[in-house]
Amino acid sequence: MATTGFDALAWKWMRYSAFLLIPLAWGHVLIQDILMGGHSIDLDYVSLRWSMIGWRIYDFCLLSFAFAHGINGLRQVLCDYILSEKYRRWAAWGLLAAWGIISAIGAVAIIGGVRLE
Amino acid sequence: MRSRFRATLSGYATYSARGGLFPFLLHRITGLGTLIFLTIHITTTASVYFSPSFYTRFMTVFRTPLFMLGEIILVFCVIFHGVNGLRIAYFDLFKPDLWKKPSFQKITRATLLIALVLWLPAATVMGYNLLKIGFGLFGGE
Repeated sequence: MATTGFDALAWKWMRYSAFLLIPLAWGHVLIQDILMGGHSIDLDYVSLRWSMIGWRIYDFCLLSFAFAHGINGLRQVLCDYILSEKYRRWAAWGLLAAWGIISAIGAVAIIGGVRLE
Repeated sequence: MRSRFRATLSGYATYSARGGLFPFLLHRITGLGTLIFLTIHITTTASVYFSPSFYTRFMTVFRTPLFMLGEIILVFCVIFHGVNGLRIAYFDLFKPDLWKKPSFQKITRATLLIALVLWLPAATVMGYNLLKIGFGLFGGE
Protein backbone atom coordinates (compact mmCIF):
# COMPACT_ATOMS: atom_id res chain seq x y z
CA MET A 1 0.00 0.00 0.00
CA ALA A 2 1.23 3.48 -0.87
CA THR A 3 1.69 5.77 2.11
CA THR A 4 1.63 9.08 0.22
CA GLY A 5 -0.11 10.49 -2.84
CA PHE A 6 -3.48 9.84 -4.41
CA ASP A 7 -3.73 6.13 -3.64
CA ALA A 8 -3.07 6.68 0.06
CA LEU A 9 -5.75 9.36 0.09
CA ALA A 10 -8.17 7.07 -1.76
CA TRP A 11 -7.38 4.25 0.68
CA LYS A 12 -8.22 6.49 3.65
CA TRP A 13 -11.31 7.84 1.86
CA MET A 14 -12.75 4.34 1.48
CA ARG A 15 -12.43 3.72 5.23
CA TYR A 16 -13.52 7.09 6.62
CA SER A 17 -16.44 7.42 4.19
CA ALA A 18 -17.55 3.95 5.34
CA PHE A 19 -18.29 5.30 8.83
CA LEU A 20 -20.51 8.00 7.32
CA LEU A 21 -22.13 5.64 4.83
CA ILE A 22 -23.41 3.28 7.52
CA PRO A 23 -26.10 5.69 8.84
CA LEU A 24 -26.70 7.22 5.39
CA ALA A 25 -27.05 4.06 3.30
CA TRP A 26 -28.61 1.87 5.98
CA GLY A 27 -31.13 4.59 6.86
CA HIS A 28 -32.03 4.90 3.18
CA VAL A 29 -32.42 1.12 2.79
CA LEU A 30 -34.42 0.83 6.02
CA ILE A 31 -36.96 3.48 4.98
CA GLN A 32 -37.22 2.85 1.23
CA ASP A 33 -36.71 -0.93 0.92
CA ILE A 34 -37.88 -2.37 4.24
CA LEU A 35 -40.48 0.00 5.75
CA MET A 36 -41.88 1.35 2.45
CA GLY A 37 -40.79 -1.40 0.06
CA GLY A 38 -39.57 -0.58 -3.44
CA HIS A 39 -42.91 -1.79 -4.84
CA SER A 40 -44.82 1.10 -3.17
CA ILE A 41 -42.58 3.90 -4.42
CA ASP A 42 -43.98 6.13 -7.17
CA LEU A 43 -43.86 9.72 -8.44
CA ASP A 44 -46.17 10.95 -5.65
CA TYR A 45 -43.91 9.43 -3.02
CA VAL A 46 -40.79 11.01 -4.52
CA SER A 47 -42.44 14.46 -4.74
CA LEU A 48 -43.67 14.18 -1.14
CA ARG A 49 -40.19 13.18 0.05
CA TRP A 50 -38.44 15.90 -1.94
CA SER A 51 -40.90 18.55 -0.73
CA MET A 52 -38.77 18.42 2.41
CA ILE A 53 -35.40 20.10 1.88
CA GLY A 54 -33.79 17.89 4.55
CA TRP A 55 -34.42 14.75 2.49
CA ARG A 56 -32.98 16.43 -0.61
CA ILE A 57 -29.80 17.22 1.33
CA TYR A 58 -29.76 13.64 2.69
CA ASP A 59 -30.09 12.21 -0.82
CA PHE A 60 -27.44 14.58 -2.12
CA CYS A 61 -24.99 13.39 0.57
CA LEU A 62 -25.84 9.79 -0.24
CA LEU A 63 -25.27 10.40 -3.95
CA SER A 64 -21.89 12.05 -3.37
CA PHE A 65 -20.53 9.63 -0.79
CA ALA A 66 -21.96 6.26 -1.88
CA PHE A 67 -21.30 6.60 -5.61
CA ALA A 68 -17.77 7.96 -5.15
CA HIS A 69 -17.06 5.12 -2.70
CA GLY A 70 -18.37 2.57 -5.22
CA ILE A 71 -16.52 3.96 -8.24
CA ASN A 72 -13.24 4.18 -6.33
CA GLY A 73 -13.81 0.62 -5.08
CA LEU A 74 -14.25 -0.55 -8.67
CA ARG A 75 -11.03 1.26 -9.62
CA GLN A 76 -9.16 -0.56 -6.87
CA VAL A 77 -10.61 -3.93 -7.93
CA LEU A 78 -9.68 -3.26 -11.58
CA CYS A 79 -6.10 -2.42 -10.53
CA ASP A 80 -5.79 -6.03 -9.31
CA TYR A 81 -6.50 -7.29 -12.83
CA ILE A 82 -4.98 -4.55 -14.99
CA LEU A 83 -1.24 -4.67 -14.42
CA SER A 84 -0.08 -2.22 -17.10
CA GLU A 85 0.24 1.36 -15.82
CA LYS A 86 -1.07 2.71 -19.13
CA TYR A 87 -4.34 0.76 -19.03
CA ARG A 88 -4.76 1.46 -15.34
CA ARG A 89 -4.68 5.15 -16.16
CA TRP A 90 -7.23 4.65 -18.95
CA ALA A 91 -9.54 2.75 -16.61
CA ALA A 92 -9.19 5.44 -13.94
CA TRP A 93 -10.03 8.25 -16.38
CA GLY A 94 -12.94 6.26 -17.80
CA LEU A 95 -14.33 5.67 -14.33
CA LEU A 96 -13.84 9.31 -13.39
CA ALA A 97 -15.80 10.36 -16.47
CA ALA A 98 -18.59 7.86 -15.75
CA TRP A 99 -18.70 9.00 -12.13
CA GLY A 100 -18.89 12.67 -13.14
CA ILE A 101 -21.65 12.16 -15.73
CA ILE A 102 -23.87 9.89 -13.59
CA SER A 103 -23.39 12.03 -10.46
CA ALA A 104 -24.32 15.12 -12.46
CA ILE A 105 -27.48 13.41 -13.77
CA GLY A 106 -28.44 12.50 -10.18
CA ALA A 107 -27.63 15.96 -8.84
CA VAL A 108 -29.71 17.69 -11.54
CA ALA A 109 -32.68 15.48 -10.64
CA ILE A 110 -32.35 16.15 -6.90
CA ILE A 111 -32.22 19.89 -7.52
CA GLY A 112 -34.88 19.88 -10.26
CA GLY A 113 -37.27 17.58 -8.41
CA VAL A 114 -40.26 15.75 -9.87
CA ARG A 115 -41.31 17.44 -13.12
CA LEU A 116 -45.03 17.64 -13.77
CA GLU A 117 -45.96 16.57 -17.29
CA MET B 1 -1.40 -13.14 -20.30
CA ARG B 2 -0.75 -16.29 -18.30
CA SER B 3 1.70 -14.48 -16.01
CA ARG B 4 -0.92 -11.82 -15.31
CA PHE B 5 -3.39 -14.50 -14.40
CA ARG B 6 -0.84 -16.12 -12.14
CA ALA B 7 -0.05 -12.77 -10.53
CA THR B 8 -3.74 -12.27 -9.79
CA LEU B 9 -4.06 -15.73 -8.31
CA SER B 10 -0.95 -15.38 -6.17
CA GLY B 11 -2.26 -11.98 -5.11
CA TYR B 12 -5.43 -13.67 -3.91
CA ALA B 13 -3.38 -16.37 -2.18
CA THR B 14 -1.28 -13.87 -0.21
CA TYR B 15 -4.33 -11.83 0.70
CA SER B 16 -6.09 -15.03 1.70
CA ALA B 17 -3.27 -16.02 4.02
CA ARG B 18 -3.52 -12.65 5.70
CA GLY B 19 -7.25 -12.14 5.88
CA GLY B 20 -9.37 -15.05 4.65
CA LEU B 21 -10.46 -15.46 1.03
CA PHE B 22 -14.19 -15.82 1.71
CA PRO B 23 -14.85 -12.42 3.36
CA PHE B 24 -12.52 -10.79 0.82
CA LEU B 25 -14.45 -12.20 -2.16
CA LEU B 26 -17.86 -11.62 -0.58
CA HIS B 27 -16.90 -8.01 0.16
CA ARG B 28 -16.01 -7.48 -3.50
CA ILE B 29 -19.07 -9.29 -4.88
CA THR B 30 -21.50 -7.41 -2.59
CA GLY B 31 -19.72 -4.13 -3.34
CA LEU B 32 -19.85 -4.61 -7.11
CA GLY B 33 -23.47 -5.77 -6.92
CA THR B 34 -24.41 -2.64 -4.99
CA LEU B 35 -22.50 -0.44 -7.45
CA ILE B 36 -24.31 -1.97 -10.45
CA PHE B 37 -27.65 -1.39 -8.73
CA LEU B 38 -26.62 2.13 -7.71
CA THR B 39 -25.81 3.06 -11.32
CA ILE B 40 -29.24 1.85 -12.46
CA HIS B 41 -30.91 3.41 -9.40
CA ILE B 42 -29.40 6.89 -9.87
CA THR B 43 -30.15 7.07 -13.59
CA THR B 44 -33.69 5.69 -13.35
CA THR B 45 -34.60 7.80 -10.30
CA ALA B 46 -33.25 10.85 -12.12
CA SER B 47 -35.99 10.24 -14.70
CA VAL B 48 -38.49 11.78 -12.22
CA TYR B 49 -37.02 15.02 -13.54
CA PHE B 50 -35.95 14.05 -17.08
CA SER B 51 -38.94 11.86 -18.03
CA PRO B 52 -41.60 11.20 -15.34
CA SER B 53 -43.57 8.85 -17.64
CA PHE B 54 -40.48 6.64 -18.04
CA TYR B 55 -40.11 6.55 -14.24
CA THR B 56 -43.69 5.37 -13.81
CA ARG B 57 -43.15 2.65 -16.43
CA PHE B 58 -39.88 1.57 -14.85
CA MET B 59 -41.42 1.28 -11.38
CA THR B 60 -44.05 -1.08 -12.83
CA VAL B 61 -41.18 -3.37 -13.87
CA PHE B 62 -39.72 -2.97 -10.37
CA ARG B 63 -42.92 -4.45 -8.89
CA THR B 64 -42.39 -7.82 -10.63
CA PRO B 65 -41.36 -10.80 -8.43
CA LEU B 66 -37.88 -11.00 -10.01
CA PHE B 67 -37.03 -7.42 -9.05
CA MET B 68 -38.57 -7.81 -5.60
CA LEU B 69 -36.32 -10.85 -5.05
CA GLY B 70 -33.38 -8.80 -6.31
CA GLU B 71 -34.25 -6.14 -3.72
CA ILE B 72 -33.97 -8.71 -0.91
CA ILE B 73 -30.54 -9.78 -2.19
CA LEU B 74 -29.52 -6.13 -2.56
CA VAL B 75 -30.37 -5.45 1.09
CA PHE B 76 -28.13 -8.37 2.10
CA CYS B 77 -25.32 -6.90 -0.04
CA VAL B 78 -25.65 -3.47 1.59
CA ILE B 79 -25.80 -4.94 5.13
CA PHE B 80 -22.88 -7.38 4.69
CA HIS B 81 -20.71 -4.83 2.88
CA GLY B 82 -21.40 -2.36 5.71
CA VAL B 83 -20.68 -4.73 8.61
CA ASN B 84 -17.60 -6.21 6.96
CA GLY B 85 -16.47 -2.77 5.81
CA LEU B 86 -16.66 -1.50 9.38
CA ARG B 87 -14.50 -4.44 10.45
CA ILE B 88 -11.92 -3.67 7.71
CA ALA B 89 -11.88 0.04 8.59
CA TYR B 90 -11.56 -0.72 12.30
CA PHE B 91 -8.69 -3.19 11.75
CA ASP B 92 -6.82 -0.96 9.29
CA LEU B 93 -7.20 2.33 11.11
CA PHE B 94 -7.08 1.31 14.78
CA LYS B 95 -5.96 -2.31 15.26
CA PRO B 96 -3.74 -3.39 12.31
CA ASP B 97 -2.25 -6.27 14.33
CA LEU B 98 -5.68 -7.96 14.40
CA TRP B 99 -5.12 -8.97 10.74
CA LYS B 100 -2.43 -11.42 11.87
CA LYS B 101 -3.95 -12.75 15.08
CA PRO B 102 -5.53 -16.23 15.29
CA SER B 103 -8.74 -14.65 16.60
CA PHE B 104 -9.19 -13.28 13.07
CA GLN B 105 -11.26 -16.29 11.99
CA LYS B 106 -13.59 -15.83 14.94
CA ILE B 107 -14.12 -12.14 14.14
CA THR B 108 -14.78 -13.00 10.49
CA ARG B 109 -17.45 -15.52 11.47
CA ALA B 110 -19.01 -12.98 13.86
CA THR B 111 -19.12 -10.44 11.01
CA LEU B 112 -21.12 -12.81 8.81
CA LEU B 113 -23.38 -13.72 11.73
CA ILE B 114 -24.12 -10.05 12.58
CA ALA B 115 -24.92 -9.38 8.92
CA LEU B 116 -27.31 -12.35 8.78
CA VAL B 117 -29.02 -11.37 12.06
CA LEU B 118 -29.56 -7.82 10.75
CA TRP B 119 -30.73 -9.09 7.36
CA LEU B 120 -33.20 -11.79 8.48
CA PRO B 121 -35.93 -9.48 9.88
CA ALA B 122 -35.60 -7.30 6.77
CA ALA B 123 -35.77 -10.37 4.52
CA THR B 124 -38.88 -11.55 6.38
CA VAL B 125 -40.73 -8.27 5.82
CA MET B 126 -39.63 -8.07 2.20
CA GLY B 127 -40.31 -11.77 1.60
CA TYR B 128 -43.83 -11.30 2.94
CA ASN B 129 -44.35 -8.41 0.50
CA LEU B 130 -42.91 -10.51 -2.33
CA LEU B 131 -45.40 -13.31 -1.67
CA LYS B 132 -48.26 -10.88 -1.17
CA ILE B 133 -47.72 -8.43 -4.03
CA GLY B 134 -45.57 -10.54 -6.34
CA PHE B 135 -47.54 -13.77 -6.09
CA GLY B 136 -50.93 -12.68 -4.71
CA LEU B 137 -50.70 -14.74 -1.50
CA PHE B 138 -52.16 -13.59 1.87
CA GLY B 139 -55.06 -11.99 0.06
CA GLY B 140 -52.92 -10.20 -2.53
CA GLU B 141 -52.39 -6.47 -2.78
